[in-house]
Amino acid sequence: MVSEEKAGANRGDKMLRFILSRLLMALPTIALVSVTVFALIRFIPGDPAALMLGDMAQPDQIAAMRTELGLDQSLPQQFVIWAGNVLQGDFGRSIVNGEAVLPLVASRFLVSAEIVVVAVLLASLIAVPAGVIAAWRQNSFTDLALVGTATVLLSIPTFWLGLLLLLFFGLSLGWLPVLGYVSIGDNLAGGLLYLVLPVMTLVIHEMGVLIRMARASTLEVLRLDYITHARAKGLSESAVLWRHTFKNAFGPTWTMIGLILGNLLGGIAVIETVFTIPGLGRLMVDSIFARDYPVIQGCLLFVSLSYVVVNLVIDLLYPLFDPRVVAE
Amino acid sequence: MKKLLLAGAALLALANASVARDIAVAQSSDLRSANPGVNRDGNTDGVILHIVEGLVGYNNSGEVKPLLAKSVDMSADGLTYTFKLRADVKFHNGKPLTADDVVWNWTRYLKPDTKWTCLSDFAKGGAAAVTDVKATDASTVTITLEKPSAVFLGLMSRPECGYTGMISPESIAADGSFLKPIGTGPFMWDEWKKGEYIHLKKFADYASPANDGKPDGMVGSKRPLADGIKFMVIPDPSTIKAGLESGVLDTAEVSPDLIPEIKANPKMQLIVARNNGKNLFYIQTRDKVLSNPHIRRAMAMALDLDELVAAASNGTGEANGSMVSQDSVYFDETQKKRLPYDIEAAKKELAAGGYKGEPISIIANKRGNVPSFPAAVMAQAMMQQAGLNIQIEVLDYATQVDRRRSGNYQVISQSVAPRLDPALMYSFYVGDKDKNASLMWDDPKAVELMKAAYVEADQSKRQKLFDEFHELMLKEMPGIFLYDMVDVWGATKTLKGQPVWQSNARLWEVSVD
Repeated sequence: MVSEEKAGANRGDKMLRFILSRLLMALPTIALVSVTVFALIRFIPGDPAALMLGDMAQPDQIAAMRTELGLDQSLPQQFVIWAGNVLQGDFGRSIVNGEAVLPLVASRFLVSAEIVVVAVLLASLIAVPAGVIAAWRQNSFTDLALVGTATVLLSIPTFWLGLLLLLFFGLSLGWLPVLGYVSIGDNLAGGLLYLVLPVMTLVIHEMGVLIRMARASTLEVLRLDYITHARAKGLSESAVLWRHTFKNAFGPTWTMIGLILGNLLGGIAVIETVFTIPGLGRLMVDSIFARDYPVIQGCLLFVSLSYVVVNLVIDLLYPLFDPRVVAE
Repeated sequence: MKKLLLAGAALLALANASVARDIAVAQSSDLRSANPGVNRDGNTDGVILHIVEGLVGYNNSGEVKPLLAKSVDMSADGLTYTFKLRADVKFHNGKPLTADDVVWNWTRYLKPDTKWTCLSDFAKGGAAAVTDVKATDASTVTITLEKPSAVFLGLMSRPECGYTGMISPESIAADGSFLKPIGTGPFMWDEWKKGEYIHLKKFADYASPANDGKPDGMVGSKRPLADGIKFMVIPDPSTIKAGLESGVLDTAEVSPDLIPEIKANPKMQLIVARNNGKNLFYIQTRDKVLSNPHIRRAMAMALDLDELVAAASNGTGEANGSMVSQDSVYFDETQKKRLPYDIEAAKKELAAGGYKGEPISIIANKRGNVPSFPAAVMAQAMMQQAGLNIQIEVLDYATQVDRRRSGNYQVISQSVAPRLDPALMYSFYVGDKDKNASLMWDDPKAVELMKAAYVEADQSKRQKLFDEFHELMLKEMPGIFLYDMVDVWGATKTLKGQPVWQSNARLWEVSVD
């Protein structure tokens, strides 16, 4: 009993160390992202003060605004001030509208996240079994149809797919809203309706990658000796497939799901633009056009952090499918 | 599945039922702030236009007319303006507008802490420096200037200045922070969902100026006929088109490419309205090659302007080689003059200028619905026929602004927002380039004429100044003016009235069935 408790405590310690080490490993990445983003955005021509003040502004007004925004200081000075504030939880204020960056980015992130998480979940639920079935029926009509569909889905640009869905379900059939956004928090039923088309677009697009990945990793496992052995034992095909093959084949797909999730959390600007969703991607694009440095930096830092966290969660859940990972 | 979606559609209809009589209009970006004339851009000005009003405002032909004032009188020396206020004006909080409110507003605008965009114009040394604002009785205000200014009232009426709109002191919190604009306009502030929409409510107690129900620029009849206005933030043109076709949007600016499609759609109407903005080729007159007027004139003469404009504007524009807008009261026969389209004459000018095929770069952008890029492409083809070596450099808008501000360009294919007084339009281009590198033309005579137009109040004398300026411009050709900007909007057939004026939505005297 005592040894079991000890073993449990050891596992807990190990897990904590693992999480801490992963977070520590992420620090250099985040620092590098911060420096790169900070420098690159400033190398792009375009003065936020001039854009903010508009056509009427005189040079002295622009110079005064640059001073007010701290843009007259050297780049290293600006970086040190910004990084120091970020470490204290202050991401600054938007140059365009004066809003605090952290709440702004967080609120927009939640909007993107509700679409992305649902879309990736649905895409996984459809694509993973489809990929496994394609592998199981390799070279059959089912396989060809699934792989062909996956390739087509992969090749369709999301903005085009989004527009087609919008025109068909929104305009032609009139079943779904064409534009606008209602937060689920404000109105659950209305909010869900507005999410259908963007989620559908993402699901259709991401299914392509996942079908192919699930198929490839399943095929690899199906070729292994222990599968032949399992079949020789007289196990049913479904038992072979789901109990022996799927658990071992799902690892790479699970990692891919994590990468897709991390990638989409910061990168659905196109979908958000087409469907008028006030998410993080659109905020980032608008900020780049306006050279709103604090918001761009805040967005990208948030995205890189979310990428790290998502992949950490993926890694932590990995042992559920492959217990060897914990042992290692 | 179908049942589920139909149920969804029913839910959607229910969700929208409460806002059925609002006018829904698209705008490409979100509001900057609700504080008039402080943190603004064109879209912000368009929203604020419906909420606040100034003492005066522009009419359709660019003249300044009383708005919250019932009369405006200028003293003989041109230094003192007396504004008699209308008695029927109320703020959105129900309180009447008084002379004290006007003084409070002007005092606030003139405080540097307010960060009013137009402060430099009205502060000491500005084009219309205000030295005193006082209430002489409950409904009369006098404003005294440092020196006479012909553009004082025009500057007050500018969108960039927030129309120098009068707001109730209750718009400001006790700590001095801005709460919301409590103005006197036909619509009142309701809700701002950032990144999504801005909603204004009809101001039921609005007392409209009388004009037989006809709007006239910022003045004229201004009745709020709809229950409210929903300005929806939609950056994507394809989504705007879908929004109009579905009826979710009542009206919006559309790409001119869509004109045939809108005309063919029985549920939609096309609205084309010229405004005072300018499309032009902005020339760097200090460039090694382009400092020679012969070459600049050759460029102008190589352009078949009518053809270029017809193509760049999808048939909606009309060539105008003047800085003065065609709809201005100052657009006379002299302003109609332009250099002839004459390839042989252009070649002669190039020879006289010693042009040896040096490359000339036109900067263009593909932003929104401006004709920057198509105009540059057509000009390139036309100018090449005269022997000019034209290249096109496509930049994003922010970079283009940076290049213009720094003077680092040869030619920019540019659109300039409306300025209703010609002198104010001149100020965008003319002045000391040593002090402001973004200016186009620093010819001493041109600067002198512009300054004179800032001071001279008499219309016929101003006309002479503008005509002399135009003749000088044709000789020097510091920039090639192509045509006045055109607003191309789509609307559903259920919308009645004219929903756009000077590039901004203007939704009073507009209704939806």
